[in-house]
Amino acid sequence: MLANALPTLIFYLLAAISLTLAWSVVTGRRILRAAVSLMGVLAASAGLYLLLDSPFLAGVQVLVYVGGIVVLLVFAVMLTRTTELLEDHPTRGRQLLGGAVALTFFGLSYCMMTAPVFANRALTALPKNDVAAIGRALLDTGENGYALPFEVVSLLLLAAMIGGIVIARKPAALVKSEVHHG
Amino acid sequence: MGDFLANHAPTLTHWLVLTSALFSIGIYGMLTRRNAVGVLMSLELCLNAAAVNFVLFNRYLAPTNLGGAERLDGAVMTIFVIAVAAAEVVVGMAIFVAMYAERRTVDVTRLDALKD
Repeated sequence: MLANALPTLIFYLLAAISLTLAWSVVTGRRILRAAVSLMGVLAASAGLYLLLDSPFLAGVQVLVYVGGIVVLLVFAVMLTRTTELLEDHPTRGRQLLGGAVALTFFGLSYCMMTAPVFANRALTALPKNDVAAIGRALLDTGENGYALPFEVVSLLLLAAMIGGIVIARKPAALVKSEVHHG
Repeated sequence: MGDFLANHAPTLTHWLVLTSALFSIGIYGMLTRRNAVGVLMSLELCLNAAAVNFVLFNRYLAPTNLGGAERLDGAVMTIFVIAVAAAEVVVGMAIFVAMYAERRTVDVTRLDALKD
């Protein structure tokens, strides 16, 4: 009985944590605090992956999202010195617009979620070793394989890396004038 | 207490309500934030909710006539989403840094150079 009760308890706990922190990500006035809340949301999502029996994805989530993406966002905050600017509360009009769009989206998707196709679905079984299965799927060149998207993503990452360096570096003229003027 | 919890295990609909609530909060943030980095953070919330959804559909709706138990398409898609999110943040951060060097602000309501 306890074995059945525990996942339910963890699910509602993680849901409450991630919803609260997500709200503070979008409404917090201090942007660095919002970044820390975002880290909490992403860590809670790693817990959700564990609940869904995907420990490998939970690991990837912690490594890439919590460890990499949030750190990059914190760098972006620091380099643009937005920590000093306390964000004003959004105007009433923007709040209304944002709330209306978000609630409309939630309402529409709620109508779809209660469709009979989603009701009373049981969990399907997973392969015994899902890391090996994911690896095979990523390198499979056959009909259901993902070898081509995998290569495309590696190209995308390379392009993003080069693009990031080229966009963020100082223009050559600026560097030269700084050298001349000390 | 234990019996109550055991009888109320989350179904697919509960999971979907949670992920789409997270996605809606992300949408709200994208439309109300003025700081460009804040907009990017809200976008990350949306991407993360969608990534959880892929795993959910893999676990609950994998078509058994295609060997549902053996398929991990949802997990593979989640890995792709995470990789694309990483690439997107790198480019976004570079753009914000360049923009700050040029205009001294990352307030999205004042970045209207393309407007006229």
